[in-house]
Amino acid sequence: MDVSNGIQPSSPSPLHSDWQHLPPRGAKLAGLGNALAVAIPFVVASAFLSRLADFGSPWLLAPIGGLVGAAFGAWLGVKRHRRTLWKLDEDGFALQRGRWWQTESRVPVSRVQHLDLKRGPLERAFKLATLVIHTAGTKMAAVSVSGLDGEDAERLRDRLARQLDHDDDAL
Amino acid sequence: MQTPVSEAKPERRLHPWSWLFVLVQQLKQFIVPLLALLVFGGGGRNGFWTGIGPLIAVGVLVVISVLQYFTYRYRIGRDGLSIRDGWLHRSLREIPYSRIHNVVLHQTVLHRLFGVAEVRLESAGGQKPEAQMRVLRLDEALALESLIKHRGQAPDADAPAVQADSLLSLPTSEVIRLGLVSNRGMIVMAAAFGAAWQVFPDRMVADYFERFARQLFGYASHLQYGWLTTAAAAVALLLLASVLLRLLSVLLALAQYHGFRLSEEQRRLTMERGLLSKLRTSVARRRIQAWTLHEGFLQRLLKRRNLRIDTAVAEQQGQNDQRALKELAPIATPEVCDALIQHLLPQAQWPRSEWMALPAGVWWRLFLPTLVFIGMLVLTLTFYFQTAWGLLPLLWLPWSAYAAIQQARRAGYAVDDRLVAIRGGWWSRYWRFAEIDKLQALRLSRSPVDRRMGTASLWLDTAGASGFAPPLHIRFLPEAEATKLYSQLSHALARRRMRW
Repeated sequence: MDVSNGIQPSSPSPLHSDWQHLPPRGAKLAGLGNALAVAIPFVVASAFLSRLADFGSPWLLAPIGGLVGAAFGAWLGVKRHRRTLWKLDEDGFALQRGRWWQTESRVPVSRVQHLDLKRGPLERAFKLATLVIHTAGTKMAAVSVSGLDGEDAERLRDRLARQLDHDDDAL
Repeated sequence: MQTPVSEAKPERRLHPWSWLFVLVQQLKQFIVPLLALLVFGGGGRNGFWTGIGPLIAVGVLVVISVLQYFTYRYRIGRDGLSIRDGWLHRSLREIPYSRIHNVVLHQTVLHRLFGVAEVRLESAGGQKPEAQMRVLRLDEALALESLIKHRGQAPDADAPAVQADSLLSLPTSEVIRLGLVSNRGMIVMAAAFGAAWQVFPDRMVADYFERFARQLFGYASHLQYGWLTTAAAAVALLLLASVLLRLLSVLLALAQYHGFRLSEEQRRLTMERGLLSKLRTSVARRRIQAWTLHEGFLQRLLKRRNLRIDTAVAEQQGQNDQRALKELAPIATPEVCDALIQHLLPQAQWPRSEWMALPAGVWWRLFLPTLVFIGMLVLTLTFYFQTAWGLLPLLWLPWSAYAAIQQARRAGYAVDDRLVAIRGGWWSRYWRFAEIDKLQALRLSRSPVDRRMGTASLWLDTAGASGFAPPLHIRFLPEAEATKLYSQLSHALARRRMRW
């Protein structure tokens, strides 16, 4: 990508003013991550319940519960990944999530405090990145989008960070 | 003031007695283990070491305190304060005046005895204050405070002194009212009880209470009254306890809020209060992030409200540190509160007259969580205990439904081009509002019920909102209206700079 975007504030970097999907190749990763996250409570809960109800052996039920949890988590993760949309228009960054509980969050450009771009080893292998947008807010102090395309994430960061340069006398 | 002389300002030290206050602070932290060691650690085979241990510990703390005095220096620069401290691990900290959101001067009785004060400088965010100067001579502390207020420009002696106008001061009668409506006494009692439970070992507290209860019960059964008399006695006991708790609350309020005065000087608000230990804290008017007006049931009986603000100043989680300027009016009549808001937010229109009410017939959605919870509770109880007593929680439902209807009737929001406001509550009412410039992020959310009913709710996020204040959350909006408001606000926010 061209570096000049970050230097010349006059040249407008491309806006994505309609909703963008996350790249489909990240779905596997999202599914895997969510599978692990959901499997662990399922293991604990099934072991606990089998002890409580005196039903079967916890040593047998816990792995089964874990597998069920992992399958459920993977399904949920892939669904959620598919339902995560973002856009960047002249007002700022917007993120849409969820199907059952739908949320749409918006961080206006003028309210971005700082940005983090994170890439784990797995994300690097898939050329993906996680962008964390920090605001001064409380509940939405950090809006994090994982599974972004690496180049998109960099463009987003540069575009959102450019506003910070304009604003350096804000204090 | 741009002369080179001001560049070469000398480094200063804290007050020579400051080591004492550092020591006191450190002792406070270690007082419980030290006491426990002294009182309960005695006897035993190595009694000598347990006896001398605390002395060694205190000695080490004294050395650390004195070292801190010798290594802590500060310099008042033109644009900021620089602080050097540390002996093995040294640090130099530059704090621009413009970053300081809040200056706190604190004096306990001990401080007042020595004529010194503790100064704390706070900036936005973070967990700790930018600087904690323990301690400065009182006049130096006041000078530093006014220097920071004027952003480093020493107030000219020849310039006419700007008189701080007093915005609100509480006479003793109001402070007593404040004590009457507050639950301070109960909180302190609960905290003391919890601490006692933790500190004293081996069920001492539990045993004590058991003995006490047994004695009481023995005494009561010895009297052999009927159940009516026993019930009356129990009620009388409860009444006595609540009166005593209120009395304690009043005493605490008098100690904390005596001489409360809120004043304004050059767009900066300063609050002073305290009977024995004095507190003086200030915040710039533009640093106020959001406002909460609250009217509890007792407050309404006395025709009073309280006005609180959020600032972006760091507040340690869980630590109820009441030092930042949070309460503009701990207790005041509604008119005084409104006048105060009008004075501090001159462009905004307050009190609002045109509140947008919730759409008719949404009360059941406020009632829904209670219904689900009570339903599950009843199911579990009847399933486990197999008695009709498990249905008892159902009695709560009519009251809860009535409360939901009343809450839905009173809830509402108001948005114009300067201010976003919500109101809610019934038994205990609140109004919460923030300038649009102070909003940080928006969120539109739709739960499954929302989608079915064609509604949505809008969350507005501000900086420094504490968990206790009701969130700026407009619920049950018709979807079209919510989307319109959401895009309108996000457009407005993008156009406006954030002003801290």
